[in-house]
Amino acid sequence: MNFEFSEEQYEFLEQVDRFLEENYDPEVMDPSRENMSQLVDTPKRRAFMKKIGQRGWLGMTWPKEYGGSEGEGVYEYLLNERLAGAGCPQIGKGVGIIGKTLIRRGSEKLKQEFLPKILENDIEFAVGYSEPQAGSDAAAMALKAVRDGDGWRLNGQKIFTTSAHFAEWYWFGARTDPEAPKHKGITLFLMPMNAPGLEIQKMETIGEREITNQVFFDDAWVSDEYRVGELNKGFQYISEALDLERFTMFTFAPIQGRVDLLCEYVATEERDGRPLREDPVIRQKIAQLVTQTEVARVLGLRFVAKSIKGGAPPTNEASQYKLFATTHSVRVANASMDIGGAAAQLRVGTEEAPINGRADTSYRCTVVETIGGGSSEIQKNIIARRKLGLPKNF
Amino acid sequence: MDLDFTEEQQMLREMVRGMCAEFAPIDAVRAMEDDPTGYPAEFWKQLGELDLLGLMIPEEYGGSGQTALEGAIVYAELGRSLAPSPHFVSSVMSAGALVLAGSDEQKRAWLPKIVSGDAILTPAWLEPKGGYGPAGVQLRAEPDGGEYRLTGVKQHVLFASAATRLLVLVRTGDGEEDIALLLVDPQSPGVELTQQLSLASDTQYKVSFDDVRVPATDRIGAEGSGWTTWYEVMHDGIILLAAQALGGAERALEITVEYTKEREQFGKPLGAFQAISHYLADASTEVDGGMTLVWEAAWARSVGKSVDRLAPMAKLFACQTYRDMTAMCVQVWGGVGFTLEYDIQLYFRRAKQLQLSWWDTRYLEELIARDVLDRAVA
Repeated sequence: MNFEFSEEQYEFLEQVDRFLEENYDPEVMDPSRENMSQLVDTPKRRAFMKKIGQRGWLGMTWPKEYGGSEGEGVYEYLLNERLAGAGCPQIGKGVGIIGKTLIRRGSEKLKQEFLPKILENDIEFAVGYSEPQAGSDAAAMALKAVRDGDGWRLNGQKIFTTSAHFAEWYWFGARTDPEAPKHKGITLFLMPMNAPGLEIQKMETIGEREITNQVFFDDAWVSDEYRVGELNKGFQYISEALDLERFTMFTFAPIQGRVDLLCEYVATEERDGRPLREDPVIRQKIAQLVTQTEVARVLGLRFVAKSIKGGAPPTNEASQYKLFATTHSVRVANASMDIGGAAAQLRVGTEEAPINGRADTSYRCTVVETIGGGSSEIQKNIIARRKLGLPKNF
Repeated sequence: MDLDFTEEQQMLREMVRGMCAEFAPIDAVRAMEDDPTGYPAEFWKQLGELDLLGLMIPEEYGGSGQTALEGAIVYAELGRSLAPSPHFVSSVMSAGALVLAGSDEQKRAWLPKIVSGDAILTPAWLEPKGGYGPAGVQLRAEPDGGEYRLTGVKQHVLFASAATRLLVLVRTGDGEEDIALLLVDPQSPGVELTQQLSLASDTQYKVSFDDVRVPATDRIGAEGSGWTTWYEVMHDGIILLAAQALGGAERALEITVEYTKEREQFGKPLGAFQAISHYLADASTEVDGGMTLVWEAAWARSVGKSVDRLAPMAKLFACQTYRDMTAMCVQVWGGVGFTLEYDIQLYFRRAKQLQLSWWDTRYLEELIARDVLDRAVA
């Protein structure tokens, strides 16, 4: 048993730290954007990710024949944790869900067209699974795809498509066989985000305002060449990719970062002329938070360690980590408000806001963590079935 | 990064599991509840024969010199089986104090006997109105020539009736840490043992000292060093207790999960209700996370890293999890969970006791807070 990373892995982390220092830019590295900092949504952030690509850090786990370096997944984990901790954009759906699914399942044409661009970070994607009637029950998606010439005619609606307002390509699932059981009638497609018949409408959130969108398909058309993998296998591909990627969507470093900020605040600030750290209730709260934070961290390491060993993706470990870490993330945000007191409600950037204004940003933004990427309830269903062997419960 | 056991550690785990199943099955555990001796003699003998009594004691005194990691593996199994024995008080806490601060003569006199199981030592620490810190130690030891004279009362002294020696924390002065560790023969005139029944039905005694004379040569370590020694040994001890707690939690969860697959209500198994399965999924996550934290603490100790923060975190989280999830399990078992007939109550009662014992939640939180918040200022 060994909880340390290897020498090579620490060396890699040093390289990343050096890179971050050399490329420091507060507009690119902004932890107060909380979980939205992972998006590559501004020209400067794109330029930053392009540099990451040039370092060869985007395809670290990809096969060599597609320009990758076939490294262990742990390097991707280390890189993403460092990027997330600094509030940088991160390796996202392009390299992960989309790239890896294309490598496994995509046609030669799609591989040739997209994989090099992903490695260079010359392309941004939006992912469309959720629909008004298909949230946690993703297999209930109803966006209609009907055969039309060399392609498919699309009518329907997606919801909660993060990134649609700046992405170039749309990766989405559509119902190609309405007669088949719901898991077996879905197919994955790619189409340009600006294709005729697609309309994007923003949905403002209590986190960042302009993050997510509704996408309407009104007789939009996609060539069959942009179908991903086999017909009606889309839901299987979605599940495979989620098993692998759920973990990278919810990094641990930002939680540790916020807990460290909070501890520093308590250790150094006073209220009514008395050091906060002398308040026994606050001491108790901090002790509990740092303990639970460490549990979240090691649940993550458990996933990483198991991934290094190879074999089937450790889906139970990913779900346990996601469930515990995101629940804890919300808890930390709530505690930051309580400990920060009345001024904790002030927006980031306000001089009087304690904890650098992070109580407000994290209180808002963490809400989505226990909902997106498979809600806490879905994670519990997965753990109940796959780890505990309990019967299907819905 | 490798969170798996070595083959030897895996074998150790299987050996202890098998041994507990054979010599301390659940019927034996039940038979020992509220018993004045409190542990199956045959089980104790086996612990000795399999070299488990000397597991973490240096080889030069007959032990196996294993690390906290092997210790935690053994304790997770002891926790699963609920097997009662003076292993913790004798082979971990008392032996730990001797190894750390004992004279060579004391080590040679006691450690080999602890390893063989011929001697049982048990700490006499907590007092009726005292807390878990140095101020809680008020039993006075007045120097008198080459002796100390002890007067006062200790409580929660585990397996005292079987003890060859008591390891008594005594106060030798008015300074906060004027504390010494003395080895006291429980047969000495003036020592009186009274069994006290507890939540967990374990075997513990109130021990009264009425002008008990103890030779100064039976002090472990220098005068005034007692608390420092105790504090350090406690950090080793609570890592193992955290493993014990989560071993128990893991087993309690297993039997509850099995029950929810069999027991039917409204025409389907309990486990097919989300209200139930979500409880169990949460518990499983906390047990696995807590266990990983325990392994981290044990690993850190075994490679010589500081456990000032990790050890209290491990026990805090482990005991909280054990308590909360066994309470949930009893709820899932329903009415039968409240009866003595079913085993889940055995875990439920022990979980709460373990949380209160050997540094409670409040004390552990303070240790962690001190390490996190006061370090920069101090």
